[in-house]
Amino acid sequence: MAALASSSSSSLLFTSPPSKLPSPSLYPLPRFSLPTSSFLSSSLSISPSSLSYPTASRRHSASSFTVRAAAAGKKKVLIVNTNSGGHAVIGFYFAKQLLGSGHEVTILTVGDEGSDKMKKPPFNRFSEITSAGGKTVWGDPADVGTVVAGATFDVVLDNNGKDLDSVRPVVDWAKSSGVKQFLFISSAGIYKPTDQPPHVEGDVVKADAGHVGVEKYIAEVFSSWAIFRPQYMIGSGNNKDCEEWFFDRIVRNRPVPIPGSGMQLTNIAHVRDVSSMLTLAVEKPEAASSNIFNCVSDRAVTLDGMARLCAEAAGLPVEIVHYDPKAIGIDAKKAFPFRNMHFYAEPRAAKDILGWEGTTNLPEDLKERFEEYVKIGRDTKPMKFEIDDKILEALKVAVAV
Amino acid sequence: MAKLVVLQPTKQPPISLLSSSLSNGTKLCQIQVTLFTRGKAPVTQQLPGESDSDYSDFKSKVLHLKRDRQDSEFVKSSLSAEGYDVVYDINGTRLLASNSQYRFICLKPVSKRCQYHTLHDCILFCCINLKSDILPHCEVDAVDPKSRHKGKLNTESLLETSGVNWTSLRPVYIYGPLNYNPVEEWVFHHLKAGRPIPIRNSGVQITQLGHVKDLATAFVQVLGNEKASKQVFNISGEKYITFDGLAKACAKAGGFPEPEIIHYNPKEFDFGKKKAFPFRDQHFFASVEKAKHVLGWKPEFDLVEGLTDSYNLDFSRGTYRKEADFSTDDMILNKSFALQS
Repeated sequence: MAALASSSSSSLLFTSPPSKLPSPSLYPLPRFSLPTSSFLSSSLSISPSSLSYPTASRRHSASSFTVRAAAAGKKKVLIVNTNSGGHAVIGFYFAKQLLGSGHEVTILTVGDEGSDKMKKPPFNRFSEITSAGGKTVWGDPADVGTVVAGATFDVVLDNNGKDLDSVRPVVDWAKSSGVKQFLFISSAGIYKPTDQPPHVEGDVVKADAGHVGVEKYIAEVFSSWAIFRPQYMIGSGNNKDCEEWFFDRIVRNRPVPIPGSGMQLTNIAHVRDVSSMLTLAVEKPEAASSNIFNCVSDRAVTLDGMARLCAEAAGLPVEIVHYDPKAIGIDAKKAFPFRNMHFYAEPRAAKDILGWEGTTNLPEDLKERFEEYVKIGRDTKPMKFEIDDKILEALKVAVAV
Repeated sequence: MAKLVVLQPTKQPPISLLSSSLSNGTKLCQIQVTLFTRGKAPVTQQLPGESDSDYSDFKSKVLHLKRDRQDSEFVKSSLSAEGYDVVYDINGTRLLASNSQYRFICLKPVSKRCQYHTLHDCILFCCINLKSDILPHCEVDAVDPKSRHKGKLNTESLLETSGVNWTSLRPVYIYGPLNYNPVEEWVFHHLKAGRPIPIRNSGVQITQLGHVKDLATAFVQVLGNEKASKQVFNISGEKYITFDGLAKACAKAGGFPEPEIIHYNPKEFDFGKKKAFPFRDQHFFASVEKAKHVLGWKPEFDLVEGLTDSYNLDFSRGTYRKEADFSTDDMILNKSFALQS
């Protein structure tokens, strides 16, 4: 053990250099009664109240970081967007947020404008993009140059491809046409399952996952790139059911069958948080460059917890029933919309590097989601629950008729 | 010379480690560490791997005030007479539990310029925070005003109103060599005996362990640190762990083969007063991101490294705090055997 260091001045103990970090009194109070986990780490933060943010807005004035959003400059952004699935809504929010911040946006949706897929949200709300000054086009990403009619862009976000075949043409075209920054929506699903949650950036991924090949290729071709790995999302305009799966059962007074113990952790973010992280990357390209970001909420929720929160949002009781899918011969992937295991990533890189803060507050956000659920009449829509019935039959659980 | 006093209950995280970290802290000039305990246990312990000369050197520098902290007059007079600059209060509830007036007395001699650091015992931390479906616990989360472990919570609010410069550190489960709480030791006993590890319910419950050395580092980093003033910090490992995962990690740490794990439903048994399992049967983990961002603190150990450190310096040398007791195991095993046959 080292000997005590001697010194002539005991006051050394109590002086600190003037702190460049904001003083503790600026530590933001939670806006809601439930955890937000926001704490001082950086300069730029976004209020969740609306989707259009002036680029210079920030909540804290003092900061040890000198980056300013206003210095980012106006960008021309192309979003290559999938035409279905859980990630479709990302492009919608991102487009609107960029437009609100004064950037130029084109969104290229895969397929045909006239296809049936375009009748579903968020596509049936694309007027919100065009009325804000954005351009909407349709086509095959393999022909992206033609589809955008020779336009050039500063930034491209590929929110479509899951493997190299579908993304490579976009990457190659972007490089050759002078795009400076390439962003890619990957997936937190590529992390190798672990006993030690959470998944953090840098953890081992499944080598054979399609997204992994894409991530590698982008990093080889571009010098300014960023990868985003999301999990599940809620938000108006979602193309895929999330909370609705719980509401459907709760409003009809049906038991909610959850595989396993119900204690599995998952991560459900409001899509506005996903969008704000992407926007930060566009506005802080140097900081974002060459980084992987878990594009998720900063809190986990258990599967049982999600059922309970949905019920609370609906103001109704809930009966949760657990089952072992293997024991009763059920494919849990078909029966239940979330992974039957701990699946929880944390957005540490975004907080550390971009100064991003999450605003997702499930108890509050689900109330808003339930209001819309009722508004569109889904609570009275006739529905069949064939797989549920199979499960409940096997468990001999009675269902209200 | 700065003077530190550590208010120290008998049960403690290895206080020697904390004290030596305090005296070795890089920012510190000269610190005199006084340990204030009831004197029931020796205040210093030679750390495994520590040389005899280093230990006697440290021991000679530690002053011991031996009196029960319930003896309020003694505390008041000695604390004020000595003019301590820093008070480390490990386990704030005991003070409150005795007598709130006493508590106030204790704070009084601690001058405003003094820093007051509280280590909240992990079990109390758990009770303080609301049981939640949303995790991890973060410092801003609402705390449960109805918790029977009011002591810790009131300590923090008392500190806030006292005008004293304070910092509160919240660990989850502490582990490491000389751990007073048989956490990893419980698993090591099973592994050494070649017994299956009985784990309550699904085994996917998530907990979190923090190495005591990393906690000691945090203690030092908050000393004289303006950024720590009047702040609460969670201090533990950067990654969480499932119960099943912890059994496997301990096996790895000790060089044992992958363990057999048996899950059981505790409701099917009556263990009486015996604790069949050393962890709370719920998710219990906290985010340490605030300490990382604000203090620049970072744990040195990952879980397997830390458990290996604990195993090599403690259990593998034949030392442990609690004798192995497999009586509840046998109840569980007999039942599963009966079910199978």
